[in-house]
Amino acid sequence: MSIATVGVVGAGTMGRGIAVMLAEHEIEVRLIDQAMERLQEAEKSIEASLDKKIEKWAITQSEKKAILSRITYTLDLEELHEADLVIESVYEEMEVKKKVFKELDRICAPHIILATNTSTLSLTEIAAETNRPERMIGLHFLYPVDKINLVEIIRGLKTSHETYLKASQFVEQIGKIGIQVYESPGFVTTRLILTLINEAIHALMEGVATAEDIDLAMKLGYDFARGPLEMADRFGLDSVLLAMEQLFREYGDIKFRPAPLLRKLVRAGQLGVKSGEGFFRYNENGERLSVNNSEVER
Amino acid sequence: MKILVINCGSSSVKYQLFDMSSENVLAKGNVERIGMDTAILTHQSTGKEVIKKVAQILEHNEAIRQVLRSLLDQQTGVISSVGEIAAVGHRVVHGGESFSDAALINDEVKQSIRQYFELAPLHNPANLKGILAFEEVLGRDVPMVAVFDTAFHQTMPEESYLYAIPMVLYKRHKIRRYGFHGTSHKYVSQRLEEITRQSNQGKKIISCHIGNGASITAILDGKSYDTSMGMTPLEGLIMGTRSGDLDPSIIGYAMEKEDLTITEANSMLNKHSGLVGISGLSSDVRDIVEAMNQGHSGARLAFNMYIKRIRKYIGAYAAEMNGVDTIIFTGGVMENSPLVRKSVCDGLTFLGLSLDEELNELSAPRERKISSTSSRIDLYIIPTNEELMIARDTLRVIQSM
Repeated sequence: MSIATVGVVGAGTMGRGIAVMLAEHEIEVRLIDQAMERLQEAEKSIEASLDKKIEKWAITQSEKKAILSRITYTLDLEELHEADLVIESVYEEMEVKKKVFKELDRICAPHIILATNTSTLSLTEIAAETNRPERMIGLHFLYPVDKINLVEIIRGLKTSHETYLKASQFVEQIGKIGIQVYESPGFVTTRLILTLINEAIHALMEGVATAEDIDLAMKLGYDFARGPLEMADRFGLDSVLLAMEQLFREYGDIKFRPAPLLRKLVRAGQLGVKSGEGFFRYNENGERLSVNNSEVER
Repeated sequence: MKILVINCGSSSVKYQLFDMSSENVLAKGNVERIGMDTAILTHQSTGKEVIKKVAQILEHNEAIRQVLRSLLDQQTGVISSVGEIAAVGHRVVHGGESFSDAALINDEVKQSIRQYFELAPLHNPANLKGILAFEEVLGRDVPMVAVFDTAFHQTMPEESYLYAIPMVLYKRHKIRRYGFHGTSHKYVSQRLEEITRQSNQGKKIISCHIGNGASITAILDGKSYDTSMGMTPLEGLIMGTRSGDLDPSIIGYAMEKEDLTITEANSMLNKHSGLVGISGLSSDVRDIVEAMNQGHSGARLAFNMYIKRIRKYIGAYAAEMNGVDTIIFTGGVMENSPLVRKSVCDGLTFLGLSLDEELNELSAPRERKISSTSSRIDLYIIPTNEELMIARDTLRVIQSM
């Protein structure tokens, strides 16, 4: 049977993106967060994102209405007792996630699959907090959720094959393509892209080429939509550093050691798009400013 | 003999039950919002009041069980056992090149419907869902027939259905004109034979189905010779929200200038163009006419472009067939708007078409000739009835079993 109602816990950037994408696929969504302001903010930004889509002719006014009507905002986790699936996307901190899943485990019927959107934390560790580790799975959506068709479907140590199959069906239902990943720090996407970004920063540090040229090389040479340094700016350099440190800690392998320049920029408060400057400069709308005077001093 | 006609959408099922001895509708209705706990079921047995109820209907199987329950209901139903349904006729949008006629549904037919998912991603999967749901609910003993929107147009010659692009694209991917509204064009052209008591053999007919979607078909000897919709229903006439014909280079150019994805560009052409795109107001001709009368310039422009495109196709098909004997107007807009009919006809006098303005303004009978006695071309309004056509095709197929 197809999934009709999904609970999304955590109304941050990813939670909102997942919620609206699900609603676009005619799924009823309960979006949950701890504070009313967060929910109001989420509602506003979801509406704005749909208006942007209308501007791009992607949807119509009546489709927007229909999409919005499928999302309910609530503070109460208990409302998830009837959901067919729950996707958690709260702050990337183990203790927070463990608490959420303990609650969900109590609220949701035992046959319901619980999913986490974590990109760095151990699913197996989170699952150990529940009485249903075999029905715990990772669904790693990438930002922006509506544009990226990939979902990494993460199998924890105890995730059952049946759970994996059901999750794959769900991924198909929402028009995405899933890849099967056995739990491992950074999965496939995060591990590979972080390594590339880190290497690009090393190359920049060593004076191999300018930031502009490093990005141009990857854009033209390998058909990247954005170069690795601009990608880092867009992720947020602090998030990149945090994730990199996490990988380094987990693997203990020198190849994951964060480049010193990355740490230096974060310490300077130069965090990328969100602070207006990272490896490049950006305006308030997140658009790159011209090449001149936009490069980091080496 | 009773035949149930089904039009199954992704979240809806429409149905009509026909008594084929009289071709009367015994009951009709629909289920909307399938998949929700507040699905809406509307049922009306002929001569009785409309029954509406809200229920949790999560799947098509359940929707169909509800439909059968409504038909069987002692008070409000019209049959006493499912066995009275001799056959089920399913509307299927795309039959590709596999079907030039309705077909008795078997595994092979289902496979073919599946094969054309790519060409009709919104419709064929839903149509198949309906077929599978009926099989599950009724078992395989009740014969079912698929009636394809594209089938009538399979008689088109190569010159009509091929595009002037590298032939390998046709060979590899079956990129060609398929045409749509076939069931409607077929119904009205056959109905013309009944009204005039003359065979369509040797006749040149132009059938204009103008509703929310719109297409015009050139019919030669009773067979589709050319049609305005193409590989998808986007080509041809200006419609409520669809652009119809345009220079294909515009798409790439607009995508680059506006930074659009393919999906966005498709949505722009299918949902944000046509009358609503030009007027910025509405996709409904009635709203456009009303605004035009109040002096809205965008509405006037939209209306004029809309009419002009219809005339352009009628003129083109008259030229393709080297003449035209009869023009048929059908579909919601043409059946209900004297203004649209008159506006189209006003520019076609060179063909020898002369509209009887009084007959044009009448509201009844709905089916009638509206050309004047001096007209060289006969012009008819024939309300379409796709459900009846599906019922007839279904009956014909099961009788030849």
